[in-house]
Amino acid sequence: SSSGGLERPQLVAHVQRALNYTLFDCKWVPRSARLLCLGSAARGTGVLQLYELRGGRLALLREIEKAKPIKCGTFGATSLQQRYLATGDFGGNLNIWNLEAPEIPVYSVKGHKEIINSIDGVGGLGIGEGAPEIVTGSRDGTVKVWDPRQKDTPVANMEPVQGESKRDCWTVAFGNAYNQEERVVCAGYDNGDIKLFDLKTMSLRWETNIKNGVCSVEFDRKDVNMNKLVATSLEGKFHVFDMRTQHPTKGFASLSEKVQKSTIWQVRHLPQNRDIFMTSGGAGSLHLWKYEYPAQRSKKDSEGAEMGVAGSVSLLQNVTLSTQPISSLDWSPDKKGLCVCGAFDQTVRVLIVTKLNKV
Amino acid sequence: MPVWLREYSWRQSGSAVYLSLPVRGVRVTPANIFCTDQYLKVSIPPFLFEAILYAPIDDTNSTAKIGNGIIFFTLYKKEVAMWDSLTLANANKEKLQYLRENAILKAHEKAKEETEAKKVTKQEHKKYALEATMKLEEAERKRIEDLKEKERQKVTKELELWKKQQKDAEKQKRVQKEGELHQEVEKLKEKKKEKMNKTRIANEGTSKTSLKPTKGCHGSYSMFSENLKEEQLPAPRSTATIKINFTSRVFPTALRESRVAEEEEWLRKQAEARRTVSADLSELEDLKEEEKNPDWLKDKGNKMFATGNYLAAVNAYNLAVRLNNKLPLLYLNRAACHLKLRNLHKAIEDSSKALELLTPPVPDNENARVKAYVRRGTAFCQLELYTEGLQDYEAALKIDPKNKTIERDAEKIRHLIQGTTQDS
Repeated sequence: SSSGGLERPQLVAHVQRALNYTLFDCKWVPRSARLLCLGSAARGTGVLQLYELRGGRLALLREIEKAKPIKCGTFGATSLQQRYLATGDFGGNLNIWNLEAPEIPVYSVKGHKEIINSIDGVGGLGIGEGAPEIVTGSRDGTVKVWDPRQKDTPVANMEPVQGESKRDCWTVAFGNAYNQEERVVCAGYDNGDIKLFDLKTMSLRWETNIKNGVCSVEFDRKDVNMNKLVATSLEGKFHVFDMRTQHPTKGFASLSEKVQKSTIWQVRHLPQNRDIFMTSGGAGSLHLWKYEYPAQRSKKDSEGAEMGVAGSVSLLQNVTLSTQPISSLDWSPDKKGLCVCGAFDQTVRVLIVTKLNKV
Repeated sequence: MPVWLREYSWRQSGSAVYLSLPVRGVRVTPANIFCTDQYLKVSIPPFLFEAILYAPIDDTNSTAKIGNGIIFFTLYKKEVAMWDSLTLANANKEKLQYLRENAILKAHEKAKEETEAKKVTKQEHKKYALEATMKLEEAERKRIEDLKEKERQKVTKELELWKKQQKDAEKQKRVQKEGELHQEVEKLKEKKKEKMNKTRIANEGTSKTSLKPTKGCHGSYSMFSENLKEEQLPAPRSTATIKINFTSRVFPTALRESRVAEEEEWLRKQAEARRTVSADLSELEDLKEEEKNPDWLKDKGNKMFATGNYLAAVNAYNLAVRLNNKLPLLYLNRAACHLKLRNLHKAIEDSSKALELLTPPVPDNENARVKAYVRRGTAFCQLELYTEGLQDYEAALKIDPKNKTIERDAEKIRHLIQGTTQDS
């Protein structure tokens, strides 16, 4: 980070801890200073560790071992009181755990034939409206939506047509959940496909292809009328789509930015400001971005149809923390600027991003 | 022969000598004046003035003022004394010579010393400047580090404070909830008592419903909010499936497996090959314009091949190759001609050359490569080199697995090989 702009947000490394297993995902436990690390131990079993931030260090509160390595987790579909964790593992199983009593899962289903690469939850934590739902995306090419009140079968299933060769689904995200009926799921695949599924009409609402495999997609807010979507990919590119205006043929307006040569593994929007987001890279770096809206968000094309106008994105700050990819990233929903990231060097790091109020 | 200047006038005080030397008609510069502690010379060709001084002087502080047609010297004596004369009286030639040389040597040494001293001071100045800059930078760095550290500490404090607040808030909430719970329980108990007091039988049903909340109130206050929320939640969605297609490959493979680089190399090579024009144009001067165009010649060759005039076709291709030896198709087609003419070795040569030029292997040049392998394979077989022939046929089959003709021919060759090995 450059010294000449101390007015800009600084990414300050606060605490880090070396782990003895491969870390795949890290998440803050809502309404607490606790965080969860999920991964795979050397002997091929799954690991869940619960840490608490105490003074200048991370104190291990709990360690739980499971049969299969765990790839991803979310608190998105649970209530604030229960704070159950939903996880996807290497065997394609979706489980929901009560961390106070983690021996038996509260919900369990073998949802996919292959590893669940990505998971998201909506309708919980007092955010938004509608039923709590979990979506999983897997290497078997399907995207499935689950309701924890319905056992064994998903409430929605997005799968390839008969005879179509499958592509790995690498990332999923919920969006547009601004009332009880509306909801969309966005999925990114390894061949660069991005598909937007409308769960109210149970149809494919939009699709596009960004040429490089899509590593991460996220809406800036799940629980509002869909506003912006960021998709990151291999070869250091990310795209920001303006989701307010859908053109009948051209789809959504977008801008793209190239960061470095390496893969951009994750994008996460700041919960307290939806125009600020952080991307994490294959070279162990973190970049903090701010989106600026254009003067007019939509305009008419030559035939009078409405089309969106993409804005611009500016780099606020960046820092290199590791030589290995930073594969997971999560902002604390309770403390603005506090975030945790996990890298393939088996280290979990807690960062503080300062001066976000001045941006 | 220099012209000696002998006209001069001088006077002295105890500590200094004042000498005026008229120099008319020439321009004087400091370079013309040479002075050491006991020797003074003014040389402005053709004029020359020199003096062996009576006593040593301090030549560093002495001055010479160049005026209009006159030089005025102020020489400070080393020893305060009155001189009998300006110059040494009994100065013989040898002494003069010695003094002259000495003087010059001394001057040289002085000059050297001066430059040395200058160098040393320069070095010291540089070093000082460097150290000063380093100190400044260090100070700046430290300042920034301190600022960062302050921020960190501030944020850590804020974090701890916030954590504490959370804990307190949670405690408070718990106490509050428990208080509310008790109140609820009390109220319900009251209600129950009231209802029971009214009528006993009619209230069986209602008392059951009022019992429910009390069951779950042992510590888990979450039940309340859970029930409330469930009432507002919609039922699980009715199951449905959405069928999807994936984007078909624009490039032969998805970008992360793409071979764009090789395809671009192939295109570049083709473009370069087009531009190549071999030398030897002197021999080709008597050719017509169109006959100098390799593409035109290739077409001519193709036409002649089609009519069965293989020799003429070969000639056309030969000429084309002389003009541009980087076009793989020329060799490929010439190979076909040689096959027909049963020039089998030449056919093999040309097919090999064509394959050489058809790198890197990309879908664009697939057809050409298949043909090259087949032609070479045929030539090998006709030379009864069946193993080599089969190798080429199999290479062709690898590129184009769906080609039945090649498959059949490959089978035939295999049988032949097996047949010959059985015989021998």
